[in-house]
Amino acid sequence: MSGEAAALAISGLTSGYGEAIVVRGINVTVAPGEIVALLGKNGMGKSTLLKTVMGFLPAREGKVLLHGGDVTKFPPHRIARQAIAYTPQEQAIFQDLSVGDNLSIGQPEAKWFDEELERVGEVFPFLKERLSQRAGTLSGGEQKMLLIARALMARPKLMLVDEITEGLQPSIIERLAKALLAERGRTGVAMLLVEQNVRFALEVADRWAVVKLGEIDDEGSSDTKNAAERIANHLSV
Amino acid sequence: MGVLLLDIVTTAAILFAVASGLMIILGVMKLINFAHGAFLTIGGYAAFATTQLGWNPWLAIPFAALVGFILGLIVERVIVRPLYARPLDAILATWGLGIIIGQVITIVFGRQVQFVQSPISGAIEFLGYSYSTYRLILVALAALLAVALTALFYFTRFGLNARAVIMNEDLARGLGIDSTRVRLITFGLGAALASMAGALITPLISVDPNLGLPWLINSFMLVLVSGISIPSLIVASLILGGAQVVVSTYVSAILGGLTIVVLAAVILRIRPQGLFSG
Amino acid sequence: MVEQVQNGPAKGRRTAARRRSDLANVLKVSVAALVVLGVAPFFLDIYTINILIRALLLAALALTVDLLWGYTGILTFGQSAFFGIGAYACALVFTHWGFGAGWAILALALGILTAMAVAALVGWLAFYHGASPLYGSIVTLALTIVVTQIIYAGGRTTGSSSGLSGFPTYYWPLETWFWIAGAFLVVVTALAWLFVHSDMGRVLVAIRENENRCAYLGIPVSRIKILLLVASGAIGAIAGFGYAAFTNVVAPELAGFLLGTELLIWVALGGRGTLIGPVIGAILIDVTSSYLSGSLPFYWKLLVGILFVVVIVALPQGLMPEVTKIWRRFVPGARRKAEAPKLEPAPARGVVHGKEQPLTVRGVHRHFGSLQVLQGIDFEAKEGELLSLVGPNGAGKTTLIRCLADGYERSGGDITIFGKDLGRWPPERCVALGIGRKFQTANVFATLTVGECLRVARYRMAPPSIWTSDTTLGLPEAALRIVEETGLAQSLDTEARHLAHGQKQALELAMVLALEPRIVLLDEPTAGLTRVERERIGAILTSLTERERLSILLVEHDLDFVREISSRVIVLHQGKILLDGSVEEVVDSELVREIYAGTALNLKGDGP
Repeated sequence: MSGEAAALAISGLTSGYGEAIVVRGINVTVAPGEIVALLGKNGMGKSTLLKTVMGFLPAREGKVLLHGGDVTKFPPHRIARQAIAYTPQEQAIFQDLSVGDNLSIGQPEAKWFDEELERVGEVFPFLKERLSQRAGTLSGGEQKMLLIARALMARPKLMLVDEITEGLQPSIIERLAKALLAERGRTGVAMLLVEQNVRFALEVADRWAVVKLGEIDDEGSSDTKNAAERIANHLSV
Repeated sequence: MGVLLLDIVTTAAILFAVASGLMIILGVMKLINFAHGAFLTIGGYAAFATTQLGWNPWLAIPFAALVGFILGLIVERVIVRPLYARPLDAILATWGLGIIIGQVITIVFGRQVQFVQSPISGAIEFLGYSYSTYRLILVALAALLAVALTALFYFTRFGLNARAVIMNEDLARGLGIDSTRVRLITFGLGAALASMAGALITPLISVDPNLGLPWLINSFMLVLVSGISIPSLIVASLILGGAQVVVSTYVSAILGGLTIVVLAAVILRIRPQGLFSG
Repeated sequence: MVEQVQNGPAKGRRTAARRRSDLANVLKVSVAALVVLGVAPFFLDIYTINILIRALLLAALALTVDLLWGYTGILTFGQSAFFGIGAYACALVFTHWGFGAGWAILALALGILTAMAVAALVGWLAFYHGASPLYGSIVTLALTIVVTQIIYAGGRTTGSSSGLSGFPTYYWPLETWFWIAGAFLVVVTALAWLFVHSDMGRVLVAIRENENRCAYLGIPVSRIKILLLVASGAIGAIAGFGYAAFTNVVAPELAGFLLGTELLIWVALGGRGTLIGPVIGAILIDVTSSYLSGSLPFYWKLLVGILFVVVIVALPQGLMPEVTKIWRRFVPGARRKAEAPKLEPAPARGVVHGKEQPLTVRGVHRHFGSLQVLQGIDFEAKEGELLSLVGPNGAGKTTLIRCLADGYERSGGDITIFGKDLGRWPPERCVALGIGRKFQTANVFATLTVGECLRVARYRMAPPSIWTSDTTLGLPEAALRIVEETGLAQSLDTEARHLAHGQKQALELAMVLALEPRIVLLDEPTAGLTRVERERIGAILTSLTERERLSILLVEHDLDFVREISSRVIVLHQGKILLDGSVEEVVDSELVREIYAGTALNLKGDGP
C-alpha cells in the first residue's frame, strides 16, 4: 500500500452509547480495492464501529481517515458524500418509498441515474421491472438486494456493509457475494463488511478480524488454512 | 341545502390552506409551530401593506409568501434549531416568537382593526345559487395549492429528500441527505404557506395583530387528526369544517366555534394516531 | 429502635421520629413572609396594593402550573380555566342568587367542586396509559377554549363577552384583601413546598423523568396525574373566587388560553420546578406589566416575549437556578445537601412455594401490521429457574419480554402468572402479579438520588407520605445485597445521572428487585459492562434463583455468560422457538451453531 492513502484508516477508535463504552481503541485499515470482514458475536461492537465511522456516534478517542482525509468530526451526510456507501443492518431501506425512489436516493444525479440503473440492473434484473413497487412489499431477500443495489448506484470508493446475509437463504447469499466481488473487480471499490456468516466473509474478504467486547481479538488473511476454524472457535457457544 | 354545501366546501378550502403550512413543518420536523398563527398575521399585514402601497391586490399573495419564507428561514436558524431535542420547549419558544411578532406588528401598524382591499368582490351565480366570488376562487386556489404541494413532495428532489427525512432521518443522513438543510427549507416553506394563507383570508376578515390566534388552534387540531398526508388533510378539513358549518348554521355560532376543538379532542382520544393512519 | 414494618399493600405504620420534614424551616419562612406581607400595606400606595392583590392570587395559580409542568412534566395551558370557573362561581352566585356569608361559602364550594369535577374529566381524557404528553397539552388547551366559549354562550346569565360586574361583594379595606391574598399564597406555597419535598413529591419528579419506568414499577401514573390536576384545579378555583370577590369584575378572558400561556411564561422565566421562582416571576412580571401598561405597553410585552424565548432556548431551567448559584457562591454552606437515608432490611414476605406455576405462555403471537414478530410461542418458567432467551437480532426476544410485562402488547395467546390470567392489564397491574422488568438501557430517574430512586421503586410496598420524607429506607434482601455489593450504598445521596454506567445498570436492577417480584425479566442486563461487573451481576442472579427461588428470564447476547449462569436456554429465531432445553443440549445443537457461526438457515421445513 505504498503511496496511495488507505480507503479507510481507523486508529484507536473508542465510542459507545451514553456512558457505555462499546468500541475500545480499535484499529482497522482498508486499502483501496481491499475487502476486510469484521466478525464477532452480537453485541460486541461491530455495528457500533460502523456507526461511529459514519458519524452517527461521536468518537471519544481515535481518528477516522477516508482516503487520507480526517472525517472524525464530520456529520453523517458529509461523510456519506465522500464516495462512501453505508448499508445499515436494520431499517436500511425506505419501506414506504418505491424501489425507484430508494435507488434514486443512492444516486441523486439524474444524469447518471439511468446509466447506473442499467449497470445495476444487470446484476439484479428484477429491480428494473419493479421500479414503482413499494420497497416494503419486496421479500426479505429482495430488500437486501435492493440495499446492495442502492449502494452500487452511488459508484462508491468504499462500502460499509452491516450483516447483509442475516436471515437469507444460501442461494441469495451466493448472489450477493458474486455481486460484491464483481463490483470490486470492475471499480476497485474497497469494502468493510461486518458479518456473522463465516463462510460468506471468507469467500468475499481478503482479510478478517474478530471483534470481542469492543476490541480486536484476532485477525488474519483469508488464505490462511485454518482461518475458518479459528474464527468458528471465537464465535462458538 | 346547496348554500350549506358551498359553505362546507369553501370553509374546508380555507381550513386546508391555513393548516397546510403547519402540517409540513410537523411532518418533516416533528415540531408544532405555535408561531403559525403569527405567520398568518404577517400574511394579513403583508396584504394590508400591498393595499397601502397601492399595488394590485393579487400581488398580496406572492408578497406574503416571500415575506413568510424569509422570516421562516431566520427563525429556524435562530430559535428552532437549538430545540430539536426538546419538542415541548419548541412549542413554548415558537409561542414566545408569536408574542414577539404580534408586538412588533402592533408597534409598526398600530393596534386598531384594518381592512384589506379584496382582489375581487361581489357574487356570482353558481349551480343556481348566488355565492361570493372570492370564496369560490379560494376553493380553486386551495385545490391548486394541494396539487402544487403534491407535486413538490412527489416529483422533486427536495420532496424525495424531505420524505426520506420524514420516514427515517438517520438513514437519510447516512445516504448523504443534509437533513439540517431540509429542515431549514421546510420551516421557510411552512412559514411561507402560513403567511400566504393569511393573505388569502384577509379579504374575508379584518386585519388586527391577533388575527392568527383563533386559526392556530383549529389548524393544530386538523393536522393532528389528519396525520401527515395531503389527501388526509383535505378529508379532515371537509369533515371537521363541515361539522363546524352545520353546528354554526343549525345550533349556534358560538358552539360552531367549539366544534373543531371538541370533535378533534374526542377523535384523538379514541384514535391517538389520527383518523387515517394505522 | 426495632420496629415491625408491615409490608404488602397494607399501609406501613411508622412513628413520627423516623420522619424528616422541613416543617420547622417552612414555618419560619412562612411566618417571615406573613410579617412582610402584614406590614407591606403601610409602606405601599393604593395603586400598588391593588395590583399586588391580583398578582398574589395569580402567583398561586402559577404555582399550580409549576406543580404540574415543572415537577410532573405535564405541559398545561389550562390552569386559567379553573381560575375562570372559580371567578364565575362567585360572580354568578352573587349576581343571580344572593349575597352574604352563606352564599359566599356556597359559591366558593360550588367553584371548587366544579373545578375538581372538570379537572377529573380532563384528566381522565388526557392521562390514559400510553397517551402522548402532547395529547395532554392539547386537551388542556381545548379546555380553555371550551370554558371561554361556554361563557360567551351564556348570554345575559354570564354576561357573554363583556362579563359580569357590579355584583354585591365585601367592600373591605384594601389592606384586608391584601392580607387575605397574601396569607392564601403563603399557605399554598408552604403546603406545596412540603408536598414536593416529601417522598410523594419525588414520585412526581420520577414521573417527569421517566413515566414508562414508573409504570413498570407498579406506580399508578394516570391516577396520580389526575389527582394532582384535581388538586391544582381546586387551588385555581379558590384563587379565581378571591379575584372575583375582590375586583367585582369577571370576564371570559380570565378562563382563556392567553392567560394560560402567560402562566407558562411566568413559570418558565422564574424557573420551572422551583416553586419560589414561579411565584416571584408571576408577581414581578404581573406588577411590572400593570405599571408599564400605561406608558410602554407594547414594548414591555415585546421585551417579555424576547426574554421568554431566550430563556427557553438558552436557560431552560429559568432564572431561579442562576440566582441560587450566585447566592451559594456568596453564602458558604447554603447548599442543602440531600441526606442519605439509613438502609434497613424489609422483612421478607411469606411466599407460598410450589402451588402454582410461575409463568405459562401458550400460543402467544405478535404482529406489527403484516410483519409477524412472534408466532406460536409456548413455554413455562419454573420456580428457581434462570431461563435465558437467545437468538440473533430481530428474533423477537425483546418483543417477547414486552408481551410478558404489559397485557396490551401481544396480538394473541394466553399468559398465566401464578395461575392468574395476565389479560390486557397495563404494566402497573402486571407488577402486582409479581413481574419485575429491567429495561435494556439503564432506566433510572436522572435527577433523583440513588436513595430516592430506590424509594420510588418501593411505592407499592411502602406507600410514600405526601408531606414528609422517611429517614430510613427498607429494602428486601436481594436489592440490599446489590446496593451493598456494587458500592451504591455509599452513593445514596448521589444523583443517578452522575453514576457510572455499570452502577446505573446495578441501580435499575436493585429497583426492580425492590418490587419484590417473583418473576424477573432482564433485557441484556450486562450490555456495556466490564467483565468484572458482568461476573458480579451473574453471581447475584444465580443466588437469586437458588436462595430466593425467583424465576428469571434473561435476554442475552453474550453466550459465554449465558452458559455460565443459565439453568435452561430457549433459542428464538425469526419469531419462533427453535429450541428449548438445557445448556448442554443447546450448546451441542448443530442448529444453534449454524445460526451463530455461519451457514445460513433454511427453515422452510417447519414453516406454515
